[in-house]
Amino acid sequence: MIRYLIIDDEPLARDELKHLLEQESEFEFVGEAANAIAGLSLINKLKPDLIFLDIQMPKITGLELASMLDDNQLPRIVFVTAYDEYAIKAFEEKAFDYILKPIEVSRLQQTLTRLKQDHTPKPMLFDDKPNLTVLPCYYHHTIKLIQLSEVEYVMSDHSGIHIITAAGQSHTHLTLKTLEEKSALLRCHKQYLIAEQAIKEIQLHENASADIITPSGHKVPVSRRYLKAIKHHFGIQTG
Amino acid sequence: MALIISLIQQLSVFLVIAYLFSKTPIFKPLVSISVSLPHKVVIYLVFSSFCIMGTYFGLAVQDAIANTRAVGAVLGGLLGGPVVGFFVGLTGGLHRYSMGGFTDVACAISTTLEGLMGGLLHLYLVRKRNIEALFSPLIAFFITLAAEAVQMAVILIVAKPFAQAWQLVTLIAPPMLIANALGAALFMHMIRDQKAMFDKFSSAFSAKAMLIAERTVGIMAKGLTQQSAEQIANIILEETKVGAVAITDKKHILAFTGIGHQHHKPGRAISSPLTLGAIKDNKIVFADGVNLPYQCSVDKHCRLGSAIIIPLRIGDGEVVGTIKLYEPKHKLFLNINRTLGEGIAKLLSNQILFGQFLEQKRLLTESELKLIHAQVNPHFLFNALNTISAVTRTDPDKARELLLSMSHFFRKNLKRSCDITRLEEELKHVEAYLAIERARFGDRLDVKINISPDDYSLSLPCFTLQPIIENAIKHGTSHLLEGGCITIDLNEHPKQVCLCVQDNAGLYRSKTSDGLGLDIVDKRIKNAYGQDYGLSIECEPNVYTKVNIYLPKSLTNTSKEPRS
Repeated sequence: MIRYLIIDDEPLARDELKHLLEQESEFEFVGEAANAIAGLSLINKLKPDLIFLDIQMPKITGLELASMLDDNQLPRIVFVTAYDEYAIKAFEEKAFDYILKPIEVSRLQQTLTRLKQDHTPKPMLFDDKPNLTVLPCYYHHTIKLIQLSEVEYVMSDHSGIHIITAAGQSHTHLTLKTLEEKSALLRCHKQYLIAEQAIKEIQLHENASADIITPSGHKVPVSRRYLKAIKHHFGIQTG
Repeated sequence: MALIISLIQQLSVFLVIAYLFSKTPIFKPLVSISVSLPHKVVIYLVFSSFCIMGTYFGLAVQDAIANTRAVGAVLGGLLGGPVVGFFVGLTGGLHRYSMGGFTDVACAISTTLEGLMGGLLHLYLVRKRNIEALFSPLIAFFITLAAEAVQMAVILIVAKPFAQAWQLVTLIAPPMLIANALGAALFMHMIRDQKAMFDKFSSAFSAKAMLIAERTVGIMAKGLTQQSAEQIANIILEETKVGAVAITDKKHILAFTGIGHQHHKPGRAISSPLTLGAIKDNKIVFADGVNLPYQCSVDKHCRLGSAIIIPLRIGDGEVVGTIKLYEPKHKLFLNINRTLGEGIAKLLSNQILFGQFLEQKRLLTESELKLIHAQVNPHFLFNALNTISAVTRTDPDKARELLLSMSHFFRKNLKRSCDITRLEEELKHVEAYLAIERARFGDRLDVKINISPDDYSLSLPCFTLQPIIENAIKHGTSHLLEGGCITIDLNEHPKQVCLCVQDNAGLYRSKTSDGLGLDIVDKRIKNAYGQDYGLSIECEPNVYTKVNIYLPKSLTNTSKEPRS
């Protein structure tokens, strides 16, 4: 069974696609989302094999969502879009497939056939460049979009991934690994990522570890393992 | 006493010459105060001549000359300044010296002093910025009186023997003082009259030119047509009071008013060789009726005898027509009307040019609009089709309705010519568009149109409301995770009506691609109704964007648009 999610902001478009896939015994519908942020949370929760993803959606586009996913557990992504020729060109090689709306049944069948042959999640060659600029977060019961430039550091603990800005702390569904790979945040500890612009001072300790002090006064630990890399990043000679 | 009478007789001859001279163009520089050298030279030459003339007209008295030389010297200084005054006096004085007599040296010195005195008074008055006083006959009278008194003193001091000088002075002082002072005052009076006449003439001329400019403004902006030409020709005829006025384009008479309008019919091809020549050579042709006679090419008995034909030029000198001013045979063609005619032609040329500019601007806006509508938003189109295809399965009737809405929307968009429409028609267009958007976005889109049917006959350029609502969805509410809300209201203001489209997204950014559509809406409203109307946009980021469309309170009666 191939478990799939549909992420599209138009309800009728989701219905249509769901209907077209109902006849397919090998495909199992596991959920749908009306925007990319709810979609990201569902992906993390349900770990589907396949996502049908619209491109034009509020706040975060389908393309941006795709770049937020952990490359190691990337589901197959099929973009379903009405009209976006430039984006299609850019992502032709990176998405598993793309389908145009209104959906032609025969065209969808081709995609499904290919999917049946090859559907296991595996790393996909998304662009390696850091390309996250907006981080979707949960703050109590609201969804907040935090600009990467506002982030001081990111911390993971037993309750999840927390993004700390001067304004406070929010929870995100993005993994630490994704954040490290897709953004300019630097790894300074197994559980911490630090933003370059948030390093006000680095207090060195005798045991070759250190603490970073951020502009709003937070103390972020730097482990021995990552201190060298951080120093190197700033061109500081290590003796 | 006899001496006073004869000196005044001499003075009269002197003043008659001065009067005749005042009618010549050489006199013109005298009436204005200027620092330019040629101007000063003219003053020097004129008053030196009067100075010498004053000596010639003098009467020989006891080996001396009772004269009116002082008039030239003092006025020369008064109008030309100290330097000019000095040289006028010196010239007059040297001339007097050359004639000999026992007072020759005294007269040479005193005349120079007199010129200088006039000049110093000139300097004083100019520094006090009292130019009017320079032309005051009273001041001329007293300064000449004083100058003559000085002259008498110089004669007493310089001329030898003193006894003879004393005798002379007692004899000639009273008549010379009175005659010279009076002469200077009268001469100055003449200059002042002439100056007043010039001023009046030029102000009347400017006033007339201004009046014509004011009355004709805007008429030509719609182009050179029979209608606009007729209005202009009538105004020019009224204001200049010439015999007749005609306006032509390059081939035909557009308007003709005044004498001979019975046979100079608008719409006729131009037959006058003079006019054809003026158009061909791009030159002003002046048939003054004397050197170059004007003969009507239509009717031999036409009373018109002189004409000026001025080409109307635009841009890089291209001739688009002519304006012609005529006078009848018995009347002289006034120079003022000739100059005025050239001015009017320039004015009209500029107006035509401005009109063309406006027209081109309008056409550009229209073509931009057509281009935008030709580029149907593909994202909207394909999503709409996808929506309809989904609805077809679950609710075929609803799908049919949506298809009709879509055809209504595109039919309107593809319509090539459209100008002013009723608000009702515009709202139908909006509704057709919204029917599809509502189906696409479901409960994520809420649009409220709060417009009463009483306002349906309000007129506005078509494609005004729909692009703004499309913008509010495309660049506004469609970017919201939660529900988008758009309201459309109509507010009455004292002088205008305001259609107000407000969304709850607050994502408007000027200078983005969405600005283009709004710019065109704004431009079209301004083209149709003027600068007081158009769009104003308020945006509170992430709270709301509010587009106010200001329109005049004009209604249109066309209840239905013609079917295409």
